Amino acid sequence: MSPLPHPRPTALDRRGLLKLFGAAGVGLATAACAGPGGTTTPSTASAAAVPTTGTPKGSVSFAHWRSQDKSVFAELISGYTKKYPAASVTQDISPSADYQSSALLEIRGAQSGDVFAAFRGAQFSSFVKAGVYEPLTSGSLIGNYHSTLIAAGAQDGTQYGLPYELVFNTPVYNQDAFDKAGHTSLPTDWDGFLGLLDDLKAKGYTPLVWPGGDSSNNGQFLNTMVMNNAPSDQMFAEIEAGTYKTTDDWFVNTLKQYKQLVPYMQNLPTGTSTTSATEQFASAKAAILAVGSFEISTVRSLGAKFPVDLVAPITTSTAAAAKYEGVYNATFILGLNAATKVGPAAYAWIEYLSDPVNAGIYANGTAQHVTVADVEYTNADLKRIEPWLTKKTLLDPLYQFLNLNISAAVVNSTVSVVGGTDPEQAAAHAQTIIDQQIKIG
Amino acid sequence: MLRRSSTSRSRSVSAGGSGRGRTRRGSRRAHPALYLFPLPALAVYLVFFAYPTLQSFQYAITDWNGYSATYRDVGLANLSTLATGDDLFRNAAENNVKLMFAVVIGQSLFALALALFLARTTRASTLLRALFFLPTIMSSVAVAFIWQFVYDPDTGLVDSALRGIGLGSLQQAFLGSPSAAIYWLAVVQIWFHAGQMMVVFIAGLQAIPREFYEAAELDGAGAFQRFRYVTWPLIAPATAIVTAYTTVQSFKAFDLVLGLGGNPPNSSLDLLSTRIYTTFSNYQYGYAAAESLIFMALIALVTIVQRRALRLLGSRTGEARP
Repeated sequence: MSPLPHPRPTALDRRGLLKLFGAAGVGLATAACAGPGGTTTPSTASAAAVPTTGTPKGSVSFAHWRSQDKSVFAELISGYTKKYPAASVTQDISPSADYQSSALLEIRGAQSGDVFAAFRGAQFSSFVKAGVYEPLTSGSLIGNYHSTLIAAGAQDGTQYGLPYELVFNTPVYNQDAFDKAGHTSLPTDWDGFLGLLDDLKAKGYTPLVWPGGDSSNNGQFLNTMVMNNAPSDQMFAEIEAGTYKTTDDWFVNTLKQYKQLVPYMQNLPTGTSTTSATEQFASAKAAILAVGSFEISTVRSLGAKFPVDLVAPITTSTAAAAKYEGVYNATFILGLNAATKVGPAAYAWIEYLSDPVNAGIYANGTAQHVTVADVEYTNADLKRIEPWLTKKTLLDPLYQFLNLNISAAVVNSTVSVVGGTDPEQAAAHAQTIIDQQIKIG
Repeated sequence: MLRRSSTSRSRSVSAGGSGRGRTRRGSRRAHPALYLFPLPALAVYLVFFAYPTLQSFQYAITDWNGYSATYRDVGLANLSTLATGDDLFRNAAENNVKLMFAVVIGQSLFALALALFLARTTRASTLLRALFFLPTIMSSVAVAFIWQFVYDPDTGLVDSALRGIGLGSLQQAFLGSPSAAIYWLAVVQIWFHAGQMMVVFIAGLQAIPREFYEAAELDGAGAFQRFRYVTWPLIAPATAIVTAYTTVQSFKAFDLVLGLGGNPPNSSLDLLSTRIYTTFSNYQYGYAAAESLIFMALIALVTIVQRRALRLLGSRTGEARP
């Protein structure tokens, strides 16, 4: 058999190819060493300002995490498009955990989120650092809000965002249960609180249900447990800065008070999810749900008919020593993307949401208060809780944490204590983690 | 076709009395166009695998936060902190090892037991195979929700059943138990994937010739001896596949953990994958890159040890070739 014609191999043999790959590898390595961030540079507020006036037109992406509010927002979007026919709004909803971790990457390039929401605390702070906000200071928008409730959206004198939702991170109670236990007024000190729990227990209720197994909600109760125990309102910021320690008396005492509450909690509380805790409360098996006002709508959706209100554990030995009656949080911080291509339409969407009538639709539709002034609350639960808007409440301290690991270490110490660990030991373990995290930076 | 022509050419060159070196050179050469075929795949590999991997080495020696244009070089500080001063990372690594052993042993044994019972093809066994395989096609999030209901101490299936039959003292906090949570997670993982591994074992079992069992029976081997001396050595390749897959699976457990434990999960459920995710969420990209490198090294180490162990098993049985 004669050989088939074969062209003479030219320059590209295996050795040549290896050289080529080697060169490509070196090139890649060099490129990789060009530095984090590559050629991207953060957009900053000092860059060209986003136009906010003019005819709203184009499609606005509204990035947020509250899937439970989707239908209410859809109703508002419908009103918005009627008002501005050339503009539309699309909701880009991510689960809260994903939103917490990856929203910045998408918002930064305005791939989504011409208007976006942010969590108070670490996320807001990172968004500001990344320069994704177009400041809202110049417009008339701010005048629609309670000025005292939007501080969480400001930094260094600039209003970057507008906290929209107002929730109370204060336990919810079943008024019928309290009435049956003979308590028509709320306890004003720690002994009074324990007495209330005793009376509820005597009436066959699980006095306090706490979702110790749910890392997204088991820290809510800590807010009210520390509000009157800590030496400063910035207690968690001080812990993160290393100036306060979890081994300090005030925190160890808080953990000891958690231990005192264990006999009043549901069965094996460290394994309970928020869903289960809410079900136990909604079925009137438990009298106090140690989460917050934002769970009321779920309680209603589970069929609960009894009246509810808020009660905080007053941890001081006397009523006079207590500074606060509860905890609130202003979050879901609305922001205008500095990189948006549809500035007037995006700004108009924020403006539309900031209108008291529209904010009322949102509030009553989602059973949450809002930071917008002059809103009429028609929802029965919101009306009942409305007096809390003027009570002495502390801005949710848990959001002072900017480091998730430090926050988790502090909250986990309460879970450990409820699970049976000695308070001093749990506090010391948390402090070890905190010290390491501070070092890591 | 091109390869054949090349071989023919080298043969003809040899036959023609050309020099030895020329023959070898000719046999090594291939048509240049051949080298172009892998280029698209290679480009994808370089851009999406090689480049990011190289970048992670570069990030690992910085304190980059993920969005700033500026960063500091910190040398090996991230790696040394991980090795000596980060209890969260050490805890996650320990949890990962515990999960791996629990899942590899538990899932392999459970899947093998299922396969032994269901290897014979009957209507009942076909139905049962489908039922046991069903969890595999579910999403991790759905599985997490199901097991949240199973594990809940108050309204959950297990504790309610225990209370119902008067064994309330055996109730567990399950995922809320600091020392046992990782093993309860392993139970979920085993339930989730055992059906898939059962199929691999069944394939292995059905490939064993019946004559081997008949010969063993004639030799007087009982059921256990038939398993020990016929089944076990001959399903070694299937065992190797199951073990390797299960090991990787236990390291990759991520969405299931977040579904069951939230983000970040409690330290008792924290794995290396969730730890790295939390560090990224914390805007500590440099540190997270260093964690990822150690994670890669750990997986490589486990894979090497496992391959050696299975090769050893193979040399004893003469079958396993992982």
